[in-house]
Amino acid sequence: IEELEMRYTTSVDKGLTSSFAREVLERDGLNELKPPKGTPEYVKFARQLAGGLQCLMWVAAVICFIAFGIELGRGNLTSFDDLYLAIVLITVVVVTGCFGYYQEFKSTNIIASFKNLVPQQALVIRDGQKNQINANELVVGDLVEIKGGDRVPADIRIITSQGCKVDNSSLTGESEPQTRSPECTHENPLETRNVAFFSTTCLEGVATGVIINTGDRTIIGRIASLASGVGNEKTPIAIEIEHFVDIIAGLAIFFGFTFFVVAMFIGYAFLEAMIFFMAIVVAYVPEGLLATVTVSFTSTITSVCSTSVICSDKTGTLTQNRMTVAHLWFDNHVHAADTTEDQSGQSFDQSSETWRSLARVAALCNRAIFKPDQEGIPIPKRIVVGDASETALLKFTELTVGNTMDYRNRFKKIVEVPFNSTNKFQLSIHELEDPLDLRYLLVMKGAPERILERCSTILVKGQELPLDEQWSESFQTAYMDLGGLGERVLGFCHLYLNEKEFPRGYQFETDDMNFPTSGLCFAGLISMIDPPRATVPDAVMKCRTAGIRVIMVTGDHPITAKAIAANVGIISEGSETVEDIAQRKRIPVEQVNKSEARACVISGGQLKDMSSDELDEALRNHPEMVFARTSPQQKLIIVESCQRLGSIVAVTGDGVNDSPALKKADIGVAMGIAGSDAAKNAADMILLDDNFASIVTGVEQGRLIFDNLKKSIAYTLTKNIPELTPYLVYITVSVPLPLGCITILFIELATDIFPSVSLAYEKAESDIMHLKPRNPRRDRLVNEALAVYSYFQIGAIQSYAGFTDYFTAMAQEGWFPLLCVGLRGQWEDVKLQDLQDSYGQEWTYSQRLYQEYTCYTVFFVSIEICQIADVLIRKTRRLSAFQQGFFRNRVLVSAIVFQLCLGNLLCYCPGMPNIFNFMPIRVQWWFVPVPFGILIFVYDEIRKLGVRRHPGSWWDQELYY
Amino acid sequence: RTTCSSFKITLFYVIFYGCLAGIFIGTIQAMLLTLSEYKPTWQDRVAPPGLTHTPRSDKAELAFNPRAVETFLAHTKALREFLDKYDESKQKDQMKFEDCGDQPADYKNRGDLDSDVGVRKACRFSRALLGPCSGLEDTEFGFKEGKPCLIVKLNRIVNYRPRPPSSNESIPEEAQPKVQPNVIPIYCTSKKEEDADKIGEVKYYGIGEGFPLQYYPYYGKKLHPQYLQPLVALQFTNLTRNTDLRIECKVFGDNIDYSEKDRYQGRFEVKIQVEES
Repeated sequence: IEELEMRYTTSVDKGLTSSFAREVLERDGLNELKPPKGTPEYVKFARQLAGGLQCLMWVAAVICFIAFGIELGRGNLTSFDDLYLAIVLITVVVVTGCFGYYQEFKSTNIIASFKNLVPQQALVIRDGQKNQINANELVVGDLVEIKGGDRVPADIRIITSQGCKVDNSSLTGESEPQTRSPECTHENPLETRNVAFFSTTCLEGVATGVIINTGDRTIIGRIASLASGVGNEKTPIAIEIEHFVDIIAGLAIFFGFTFFVVAMFIGYAFLEAMIFFMAIVVAYVPEGLLATVTVSFTSTITSVCSTSVICSDKTGTLTQNRMTVAHLWFDNHVHAADTTEDQSGQSFDQSSETWRSLARVAALCNRAIFKPDQEGIPIPKRIVVGDASETALLKFTELTVGNTMDYRNRFKKIVEVPFNSTNKFQLSIHELEDPLDLRYLLVMKGAPERILERCSTILVKGQELPLDEQWSESFQTAYMDLGGLGERVLGFCHLYLNEKEFPRGYQFETDDMNFPTSGLCFAGLISMIDPPRATVPDAVMKCRTAGIRVIMVTGDHPITAKAIAANVGIISEGSETVEDIAQRKRIPVEQVNKSEARACVISGGQLKDMSSDELDEALRNHPEMVFARTSPQQKLIIVESCQRLGSIVAVTGDGVNDSPALKKADIGVAMGIAGSDAAKNAADMILLDDNFASIVTGVEQGRLIFDNLKKSIAYTLTKNIPELTPYLVYITVSVPLPLGCITILFIELATDIFPSVSLAYEKAESDIMHLKPRNPRRDRLVNEALAVYSYFQIGAIQSYAGFTDYFTAMAQEGWFPLLCVGLRGQWEDVKLQDLQDSYGQEWTYSQRLYQEYTCYTVFFVSIEICQIADVLIRKTRRLSAFQQGFFRNRVLVSAIVFQLCLGNLLCYCPGMPNIFNFMPIRVQWWFVPVPFGILIFVYDEIRKLGVRRHPGSWWDQELYY
Repeated sequence: RTTCSSFKITLFYVIFYGCLAGIFIGTIQAMLLTLSEYKPTWQDRVAPPGLTHTPRSDKAELAFNPRAVETFLAHTKALREFLDKYDESKQKDQMKFEDCGDQPADYKNRGDLDSDVGVRKACRFSRALLGPCSGLEDTEFGFKEGKPCLIVKLNRIVNYRPRPPSSNESIPEEAQPKVQPNVIPIYCTSKKEEDADKIGEVKYYGIGEGFPLQYYPYYGKKLHPQYLQPLVALQFTNLTRNTDLRIECKVFGDNIDYSEKDRYQGRFEVKIQVEES
């Protein structure tokens, strides 16, 4: 303590002087967590507006403006199309930018939640006087006083303490309150008893201490800076989408530039060539895609789809997080109790006399009580005042015997000795239920070996038998068995006190124990465990079939961890650890061939001594891993090791100290109930019910969404080809323009949005949980087969459909296909008011323009009809559409209806021709593309048939996306 | 990717696109077979007809100086070329042409469009009917005197029969005297009212000073290869000099319509400026 005084130039009874405190404050700064220097908000927003596609669209919009300006300058303004186009493009960029910005905003306010942890006021001793000051003005060396209920204002070295207990759960994950006293118990500051940490809560007692660290230099501050220092790993889905957007942007520039050069070469004016470039960009870039993806697919669940390793906590995630009686040993048999959450399991035989005695001891020798007014609540859910094992026993007796409170009243408690660590037992003395029986009953429970020492007889089938060697041995076997299951075992015994020696009114003294505490009668053992959640074994099984590895990372004892792991199937039946094999073969651990052991349990201590290579090696060799006694910091090491092995890692966590691991993991999963705010903020996903099974459901959902996203993108990409080809044909063959830019935007941003979103609601084609997790390097969201099939096959058919309808509409109005070729120059000549068609009729410029709009509309309708066929084929990638069912996805059906209605509205609503270049077209032209739609459907059915019949064949490889 | 699989994929695409192209050409051919050679399937956009004038002008503006030939040379050339096919010498063939009278008369039916009669005769239209604007005597079409001629035609539409106005309601008062049976009247006036007296007299030449009905209907390029549209020549005889004059010409008829967006449908506007110093 003197050393402490020296080091911080303070005094343990007077504290710092205020002037010195001010100096230190100036040197060290305020005692608060500094937010990391983030990028300013406007930069983040600007970044959203400057992605690959966005830049292209800006360029396109600028070209539009220039074209509009030049037209305006020349004074021969024919329409406001260019202006509209520019405005729409900018709107699309800005709106999707806002979406993206909002998404990012939600995920990056991590430091904000750390701030909430900072205490507001603190009691500080300066100049020998107690002052209440703002906690952020505290400095190193200050003497502070904390009491129950306070937040610890900084990292404090305890000097005096009276029963001070702190809750470190937000920092280390330990849920039990920790005693704080002046003795140094450990070299590691995190483990030692004499340091209380910033932002933890003092639960009870009083303590004074010297501040040793403030602000960002505190333990939690270091974690906070670690969390924000760990790069924010992009979720796999974000990486996929970026990858895909890059490809699209690259292709758009390639196409645009090629045709720009071609157009210049053919002899178009520079401005015209620029407009072609712009139009190709507009046609090729899927404007609606960004919106679709942001709206329907960015739910964080998408990111879990590619998970290949789940590092799960034990307590609360795999288990129910409540001690429950699991086994009983009496009458020389182990009886299993019902540990299910809803008491639906089998109970055991309760007819034995021994059981009644055991239950009586369990009920009486127990200080836990239910909180009042909980009659309506099922027993397992009731709130109990008492420690974990007493709670478990209380609930157990309540369930098996009945009203425990009433039962205890009937056996009036005379005196009791609470549990302490030297005795390792707890006893109480009761009057008997029968008022005529004047004996007292002594009941005792405690550590089994200690209880056994004090017993001379044992109850078997209601008979007291002398406790001989044989019984001791069977007791030992049972105790080892239950302990081996990772259960906490308690022994129970009782004694009827002789009424002569201890008559009514006898003064029992608890301090000098003026009553027998040996020669008791052993009743039985009860073991307790935090049982696994009912759904977990199935979920782990599912993970296994889905190729996902589950690794348990827990702070618990290795034996308990292993028992639970075996229980839920993380260590499967028949798998052995190195130690198991050694035991079975009776050879030393060193001689065991490590590759024989499937399972492995590594404790935190071992982990500390391992190099990262050794850890990688262990993870590679043993498919079934359990990490026990790990500190939350080691979680980060485990995650990094898994990532080095190429896995996509999901990590669960709840404490503040988990946040670096959560951020580092590809998918951080925070606990919704037990999780701290910092953990929730660092996570990509929050488990509302803290249940491991929900992660698996999440993976399943994520895989489904990944599949559906693929379908949706395939759907969206397809129509870019029929949007692009009109321009290519227009430039090269000089036909009147078949499809205008504004019409394209209507397809992209209006009619096709709903169907592509509706694909998100598609049911899974097969059991997606039987497939291996996708390999992030090989199985891309948008792979070559998908792009090729969409662009060059379905897209090609759609283009043909559009051109067929286009030429039909032109020919039926008097312009035969051959006349159209090379017509562009005359067709677009504003001065030519009497251009002759194939029948010799003379057309004015405006009449031709409206005919052109008719063509736009007809092409639009063709794309719509083909896109209906497209959305139907995209429902499945492998199964026949008939197997999937046409009407099961209601959203999709209504999307098609919506699409048709919108198409009709655009075509036939008055005023459309002059605003959006839609013309009311002949009803017949709606049916021209129908055969092509049927062709698309039939062709895709053939493709799927081939894929199903000949898996692995050339056809499958080239055409399955 | 092995050679074999790239060969396969090439072959696949050759077949795939071959089939698609086949289907495409097949459907286009089939579609063309359903079309009539003589009559367009639909006339949604081409009717009602446009009203066009020669000479055409940049941005609908005719500006010239009667003293300077080069300012109107292009216009007179266009007029001469346009009227070339109206030469009487080219309408001699009795098998192809017939006289339809130089007074307005009713429609001249030449059988159904798709009947087997074959090529139909066309009505003669002599450019002499256009008087001073015929270019026969004055090869400069009045431009030299500052009295420019415009030759106006109604765009050709297959099987279209323009109907003269049945009531006077929609016709401005000044134009009403021009209404007579069997003629589609044309009337020109200044666009702005305050310019009304600056335009001076407009003279109309042609059969009935309008478009006579005996020239209709038109039977299309195939059946009516020699067809000559009736013309109307306008001569602005007393234009105020050095002024931008906006003149609007309109034809009137029951099935003639105007559109705000189409400035050449059933009417046209032209800006004339005669510069003289």
